[in-house]
Amino acid sequence: MKRVILVGSPNSGKSLLFNRLTGLSHKVANFPGITVDVGRGAIQGVPDTELVDFPGTYSLAPISAEETLAVEYFRDALTDDEVSRVLCVVDATRLEKSLYFTLQVIRECERYSKPVTVLANMVDVLDKHDLQFDASGLAGALHTGVLPISARSGKGLEPLQQLMLQDDGHAKAAPAANLADTPDALLRGTAHQLARQYGPRGDVLVRSQTRFDSFFLHSVTGGIAFFAIMYVLFQSIFTWAAPVMDGVETLLAWMAAGIVPLIGNDMARDFVSDALFGGIGAFLVFVPQIFVLTFVIGLLEDSGYMARAALICHRPLRIFGLTGKSFIPMLSGVACAIPGIYAARSIDSPRKRLLTYMAIPLMPCSARLPVYTLLIAAFIPAGTAIGGLVGWQGLAMFAIYFFGMMVGLLVTGFVSRTREDHFTDLPFVLELPPYRLPSLMPLLRNSVNRAQHFVTKAGKIIFAVTVIIWVLGYFPNQGADLGDSFLGYIGRVIEPLFSPLGLDWRYGVAIFTSFAAREVFVGTLGTIFGIASAEDNMLPLVEQIQASNLSVASGLSLLVFFAIALQCISTVAILAKESESTALAVRLFVGYFALAYVAAFAMYQIASVFT
Amino acid sequence: MPALLLNPLQPMSQTLWSLRAGERCEIVGYDEVLADNYRVRMMEFGFHPGESVTCLQSPSFGAPKVYRVSNTIFSLDDEVAAHIEVQLTETGVVP
Repeated sequence: MKRVILVGSPNSGKSLLFNRLTGLSHKVANFPGITVDVGRGAIQGVPDTELVDFPGTYSLAPISAEETLAVEYFRDALTDDEVSRVLCVVDATRLEKSLYFTLQVIRECERYSKPVTVLANMVDVLDKHDLQFDASGLAGALHTGVLPISARSGKGLEPLQQLMLQDDGHAKAAPAANLADTPDALLRGTAHQLARQYGPRGDVLVRSQTRFDSFFLHSVTGGIAFFAIMYVLFQSIFTWAAPVMDGVETLLAWMAAGIVPLIGNDMARDFVSDALFGGIGAFLVFVPQIFVLTFVIGLLEDSGYMARAALICHRPLRIFGLTGKSFIPMLSGVACAIPGIYAARSIDSPRKRLLTYMAIPLMPCSARLPVYTLLIAAFIPAGTAIGGLVGWQGLAMFAIYFFGMMVGLLVTGFVSRTREDHFTDLPFVLELPPYRLPSLMPLLRNSVNRAQHFVTKAGKIIFAVTVIIWVLGYFPNQGADLGDSFLGYIGRVIEPLFSPLGLDWRYGVAIFTSFAAREVFVGTLGTIFGIASAEDNMLPLVEQIQASNLSVASGLSLLVFFAIALQCISTVAILAKESESTALAVRLFVGYFALAYVAAFAMYQIASVFT
Repeated sequence: MPALLLNPLQPMSQTLWSLRAGERCEIVGYDEVLADNYRVRMMEFGFHPGESVTCLQSPSFGAPKVYRVSNTIFSLDDEVAAHIEVQLTETGVVP
């Protein structure tokens, strides 16, 4: 099998081209640093040829671990006999930025006798603004092929396919550019000169970008726009996804009503009803939120706004050791920590990425929402103040959200000031991409992929934990009495741990089960109090909790505990995978449990004085 | 408003971070504080000595500033921009 290598600077449209040529749907965005893995796929219409998409890098002189990895991949590929061609993607609208890297690539390809073709991407943008780009002149100067293409519209891809079809797998480059011994410093000057000579003249694109920036980055209008956009984002997470979530719940209930009565065996019926539809169903309900969140964030990324949001948030986040680039992952974490952790890949500074990983589990994710709703309904009066403008329960919800975010920032601020480590810290330099209309189909495909990934990866873990919890709760008395089950026994064993917070064994068991996923807390309490489908009908459970002699101080301590504890097996697993450090994931799990416990104990003691 | 050309006989050496929106400068060099690899990276981005850079945005509260170099726009924090020595060449540049 032949291999074709795809390289280029960040945000040069490489991933969109990869998707075009392979028919796959890797994530694309108008934001530098989206491709962080090597992607592979068969090229459509070119038999026995694989396209390998490398992470974007500005130079072959790396300054971060990720860039080092990308450059190592590239150098290894040059010694691979199966590599028949190197495709170097450049942004034709900003030629100088890409040409230095291109010259480095041509130099390396000359050294290893690999043929290289320069793909001048985004010519559709040049056409739209009636700008000219001298592809043949540049090809003559580089002594290599230069194909003007548009990965977005598909323009110019047919000649590229023809070129790859002609490669016999053993092609050798014609070493004519004579760059093999040219040092980087000279290449920089050459890139500058070539861009001026052959690149598009005029600065209509930059002027257009600057006009938008003068609004979106203005001290007043920029702030208003930022909060308006964030409001729409939150609305999308909590409002737009709601009808679909209700639809999934209804569908699951309908399926359960149809399937469960057909099962003759009692134990199998209980398992399907409680573990499959009860446990897994509660998790599947959140999939639409993941889809909507990924789509809306994708819209913002593809439009070019996300880079501006990172800029606006940089200064406040820097106080806590983070960077403006931490903003998007943390924002994603408000819906669900898992996409937030994935989004942290785009942070180039390893130290700040690590700190962002630490902050994300403390963002008030949607799985905390049912727990907060239940406890606030049980312990906070429904009254209002200031002529009905402020509701106490709404205020409590805002307070607990704010508390979680502040704890996240304080933790990273503390760690960044006290911990010395080997991680590289890079200063904030962000290329601001041009504004553009988002491409809807790639965004939709990416959102579907992310939702599928959530189900297939996290679903396995949640399924396993749900089965274990069900078995512990069902045996040895076949589900007759949860208090006499293994789970009830465990509850009484761990009761001394939670009694300093004023909680009895029932709440201990609910907390124990919620370490699989926070929302399990509500379901477990519902089962313990003998109320089925607690999530669908909160009121009876609220009344049961109020009647269970649980004090207001204990209720508040539970809120504080849930705001901090890392009760999500999926998040821990994804943290370990993405950070490539099981130790970090375990330390965060244990550390946040300890912090949650101490803070909840402090809240219980303080609240006991006043209530 | 037309750009105001400064008198080349009275060079005003300062850092990129000290520029305000609408000011254009020429890069003179880098101080010793910025790490070598990062200095090289900045030059790869186009911030090399002799290059003209325009400050497009200088937001309040010390937020990163926005600069145009060639046909590309970058946002730089003071951690970098304060270590790039420049000479002011024009003020009142309309971006």
